[in-house]
Amino acid sequence: MTVLVVDDHPAFRASARRLLELDGFRVVGEAADAGEALVLARELEPRLVLLDIGLPDRSGFDVAAELAGGRTDVVLVSSRAQADLGRRVRESGAVGFISKERLSGEAILALLGRAA
Amino acid sequence: MRALRFALFPAALALGVVAYRIQIDNLGAATTPARSLAIVAVAWAFVGAGLVAWARRPGNRLGPLMTAAGFALLLRQLRYSHDPVLFTVFFALSELSYALVAHSVLAYPSGRVVGRPERALVKVGYASMLLFPLAILLVFDATRPLRFLDPTPRDSLLLVWANGALAVDLQKAFVVFVWGVLATCFIVLVLRRLARATPRARRILAPLLLAAVVFALRAVFECVITFAERPSEILYVYLFWWQVAGFVALPLALLAGMLRARLARAGVAELVLELERAPPQGLRDALARALGDPTLEVALWLPEREEYVDAGGRPVTLPEEGGARTVTLLEHEGEPVAAIVHDATLVDEPELLRASGAAARLALENARLQAETRAQLAEVQRSRARIVAAADEERRRIERDLHDGAQQRLVALALELRTAQRRLGGSTDPELEQILAEAVGELQAAVDDLRELARGVHPAILTEDGLAAALESLSSRTPVPVTVDACGDRLPPQVEATAYFVACEALANVVKHAGASHAAVTAVRRNGMLVIQVEDDGVGGAHADGGSGLRGLADRVEALGGRLVVVSPAGGGTRVVGEIPCAS
Repeated sequence: MTVLVVDDHPAFRASARRLLELDGFRVVGEAADAGEALVLARELEPRLVLLDIGLPDRSGFDVAAELAGGRTDVVLVSSRAQADLGRRVRESGAVGFISKERLSGEAILALLGRAA
Repeated sequence: MRALRFALFPAALALGVVAYRIQIDNLGAATTPARSLAIVAVAWAFVGAGLVAWARRPGNRLGPLMTAAGFALLLRQLRYSHDPVLFTVFFALSELSYALVAHSVLAYPSGRVVGRPERALVKVGYASMLLFPLAILLVFDATRPLRFLDPTPRDSLLLVWANGALAVDLQKAFVVFVWGVLATCFIVLVLRRLARATPRARRILAPLLLAAVVFALRAVFECVITFAERPSEILYVYLFWWQVAGFVALPLALLAGMLRARLARAGVAELVLELERAPPQGLRDALARALGDPTLEVALWLPEREEYVDAGGRPVTLPEEGGARTVTLLEHEGEPVAAIVHDATLVDEPELLRASGAAARLALENARLQAETRAQLAEVQRSRARIVAAADEERRRIERDLHDGAQQRLVALALELRTAQRRLGGSTDPELEQILAEAVGELQAAVDDLRELARGVHPAILTEDGLAAALESLSSRTPVPVTVDACGDRLPPQVEATAYFVACEALANVVKHAGASHAAVTAVRRNGMLVIQVEDDGVGGAHADGGSGLRGLADRVEALGGRLVVVSPAGGGTRVVGEIPCAS
């Protein structure tokens, strides 16, 4: 499964890439902000965008809303818990949310399976 | 000066008798005893009012001016004499009497003529009232009768070129210029002054309206005498007596207006009694009544802050000099006590201001102490609010630091451990796998604990999404079913935070003590307040002071100028209501 990792922290992107590739995902790109994320999502057409909520230029919720309805699914990530983010997670159009410390291939597949 | 004033009374009486006799003896059918007496009465009214004003307000020139006008009106009658010296001298000076009357009116009430056009009018008036009669005397040869005079000839000692027709024409020109042009200017200036006056000044200036009417009557009278070939006797009589009535009333009205301060001093005695009974906030009203100025304001001096404040302790800026409002500073033993901001016309009544200020001094000092206390309370209130805002900001900073610092490191560590788990997947060391799995679990628990701690310090959702979202998040984490109905408006951060912590503490109490099956949280804006309410159907019996954490919250709500009420009858559930000002 192809993945685009979007986060403004290079260390998190590197950790996520390593972990997901070990779990059998193919990380096709990385983006550090919302603008770059939207460009790469259109160019690379990944199956999944792993999208941090706190981006420097725009909120991850906005990016998820723009990508919603396409062929790419969005999974939101944050170091906050979902309870701290309110209804915007549900209203963003993303298939789900994972706290960063719980990120794994299984967690993503569980969300996608639930969405399917 | 006092002796002079006493001497002027009998002098005016004696001169009045002379003036009366000269009219009766010299004018023949052109006058009657009643008319002659009326003219003397007008003059006496001016002298009497002038002397009283002079005695009561020695520093004011209006008294001497009115006295002079009265004497001039008496001396004016001597021009009717057939004695050439008396005729020449008093005909030359006769019209100055009206210049003095007009001067008195324009100098009312301060004794000074204020305004450039007014001063110019007085100068032109004196000049023309003197020069026209002098010019007439230079050509008057008694061949043509002059106005007001009987046909019996009189000799001008100043005659240089006998021309009776010119004398009559000069008299007509005099009437046109003085009683047409100058009288109109006078009336316009007087009415303009009335129109521009403040309400208080207008009451004091009311006699000016009478003066305008009197001068208008006199102008019409002069024109009728001068230009009507055969003036109707009835018209003449009406004009004469209305004029007399007006001229008698005018000095009395000027005197009464000028002595208002003296009359108002009776009001100062009332003020003293009223201040004993009145509450401090009634002080302004009492002073306004005593000084007859409903727009009056009182500013109290706070020595520590070195500024003037109102009764509520709010700073007051005193008006600049020269406007319609003037400031009188009240002092005690050289120290300022208060300032009275009042209508500028009160400056003409310094005794009244002094007396009222002295009467009110004690009450003003009390009011000042109260204002000082209120100002200190207001400062304490502001300082409490600042402390709350600063504490909130500090909480937000700690939450951000936890999130950006320790939490990020733990998250990164969790991912690294999970990556290590993957790399060891299928290895032959199940014990190591077990250790790693436990470490990942512990780490996740640590992140959860840290998150809960940060949330308790200051929930990020409150900063990001506002009170409604934070309350929903709170309700979802509460073990008891909670319904939330909150307005979605964003409010000042300290208001949102205070309301949130009220709900937080109240719901924590619901869980711990109430034994409730359900709770409801509402947050609505009402009359400039945010009303946060938490209600449950539990056992009740809670107290705001009972160590429930609500006491601290009540302090916090009060620091923002609000209040917290707990209604918790035994067995009847608990309702916690916080009202927090949120005008925005």
